[in-house]
Amino acid sequence: MKQLVNTFLAILIVAFGLMFLASRLNSAQGYSGGNTLTIYNWGDYIDPDLLKQFQEETGITVIYQTFDSNEAMLTKVEQGGTVFDVVVPSDYAIAKMREEKLLLPLDHSKLPNLANIGSKFMNLSFDPGNKYSVPYFWGTVGIIFNPEMTKGMDFSSWNSLWDKRLNNNIFLVDGAREVMGMALNSLHYSVNDRNEEHLQEALAKLNKLSPNVKAIVGDEIKMLLANEEAAVGIVWSGDASEIMDENDKLDYVVPEEGSNIWFDNMVIPRGAANIEGAHQFINFMLRPDVAAQNTEYVGYSTPNVPGLKLLPEDISGDERFYPPAEITGRLEVYDNLGKRMLAHYNELFLMFKMNKK
Amino acid sequence: MKNRRRVKNKNGIANIYLVLVFLVLYAPIFYLMYYSFNSGGTMHKFEGFTLDYYREVVADTRLMIIVINTLVIALLSSTIATIIAVIGALAIHHVRSRRAKNTLLSLNNVLIVSPDVIIGASFLILFTIVGIKLGFTSVLLSHVAFSIPIAVIMILPHLQEMSPTLTDAARDLGATRRDVLTKVILPIIKPGIFSGFFMALTYSLDDFAVTFFVTGNGYSTLSVEIYSRARQGVSLSINALSTLIFLFTILLVIGYYYLNQRKSRPAVQIAEPVAEAGVPR
Repeated sequence: MKQLVNTFLAILIVAFGLMFLASRLNSAQGYSGGNTLTIYNWGDYIDPDLLKQFQEETGITVIYQTFDSNEAMLTKVEQGGTVFDVVVPSDYAIAKMREEKLLLPLDHSKLPNLANIGSKFMNLSFDPGNKYSVPYFWGTVGIIFNPEMTKGMDFSSWNSLWDKRLNNNIFLVDGAREVMGMALNSLHYSVNDRNEEHLQEALAKLNKLSPNVKAIVGDEIKMLLANEEAAVGIVWSGDASEIMDENDKLDYVVPEEGSNIWFDNMVIPRGAANIEGAHQFINFMLRPDVAAQNTEYVGYSTPNVPGLKLLPEDISGDERFYPPAEITGRLEVYDNLGKRMLAHYNELFLMFKMNKK
Repeated sequence: MKNRRRVKNKNGIANIYLVLVFLVLYAPIFYLMYYSFNSGGTMHKFEGFTLDYYREVVADTRLMIIVINTLVIALLSSTIATIIAVIGALAIHHVRSRRAKNTLLSLNNVLIVSPDVIIGASFLILFTIVGIKLGFTSVLLSHVAFSIPIAVIMILPHLQEMSPTLTDAARDLGATRRDVLTKVILPIIKPGIFSGFFMALTYSLDDFAVTFFVTGNGYSTLSVEIYSRARQGVSLSINALSTLIFLFTILLVIGYYYLNQRKSRPAVQIAEPVAEAGVPR
């Protein structure tokens, strides 16, 4: 009995000691001060130096939290219980959050730097008039390939993926909209097609792709492609730039039939505690020098026009990530298809996955 | 002679099998530890020895706070859970009706096997309805909750092995209820209490699914943090951190072994023959 009590007392003392240590570290970091701003962003999606810089310029302490998918972020914001001041969801998630009234309207008078955003990135279908959201990064879905392993094959069309030479040599990203969209695009349909016949056609076409598909994977696709586990992958452009950083043999292309263009945007969710600070932060991120520094760190495409001009030519002139107008014209944003249609997309994608041997 | 050889041979195969199993279990961990010293920065090629990633881990205050949070939650939640589980196990043990006892046990077991994701989501909904702010309290409460059934399962067999004659004898010799509990029952089930505590500790240390739902307001634990970092490819500082935590758990296991070996020897010696006699076969 005595030993039991002593042991557990010792454990409690250690625990409280650690707690004290944590609170000391917290206050040393200024996390427990009054003027704080909580930012909820994708993992590793900002240059940490910029957070420090913002802190120095405004005196606002930043609490930074990360998520790994729009769905996870949505669950947290929907349920409440935590306070977030700035969140960075993707386009379709914004449409959904807007519908569910989870967003606060932005005060444009506090965001003078919004003028830096290129006009083609403003006023998009998921948020007309940018009432709730401000673009953060954008990109495309395309094909990343290893020229050494594909020997002169040309990937300027989605249909090249069906080539017999690619047997068991393609990684697909595990996203229903991405894979279905790719199949629809290859048939010259829209990525937002709701026509049942077209969708079935896309599924049939996907099933024909099965022998070429090595695996359908999540974020580990980057590591697998960089390690040359397969010659070809369907990925987002942001991932592609990271993979190419790791392994410079690879190349990325946006097929000419068109593809998806996606946006990650900054929003202020309902329940935000520091709305003034949130505006300050958004405006800070829109500054050309900040946007340029962040773009260099993250490697995704920036919508900030003067910011892009500050970047070296090999980034801003890279047509793979800043495609010319004739390709951007064919890129489509994912519409919010509604619950039922989205479930149908997921179901078709699942059928394809089950079919794959 | 022939017979003996066969026995030896059989043992040989068993040993090889055992070695293989341990290789499979430990190889990934040692692989990860090996690359935590790689100056090349990737997990493909070992270029040279460096301690940079360990320095990075120690210098990253946010990560250190998260590590401490994780440890505090693990220690506190498993302590609280063990105390509640002792009371719970005693209560279940004292239930007379066989049916009621089995029902209680099954309910306990259902909580162990039910998917973490569901438990986590339910906690999230519960906490937001009740109005508990997500953070330290919510994480602690949910860890206590999912640790209790595990600790109960570890403690209960020791109670069942305990001979009822022991408590009767203690009563006859004039022990009060309190004395029976603190001087007879608790010392006998002590090994169970400790194994329950350590099981709860490891569960709490590595739980991701439940914790993911109930963290918030800048409060995070290691599993959640590593998961969101993994999106950009796990950096080698995570390898370094994992190595440190692996060493820490090894220390815990050694500590547990030491506790069981040295201090509880007299109790075990008394308890075991009795327990053997008391177990119905």
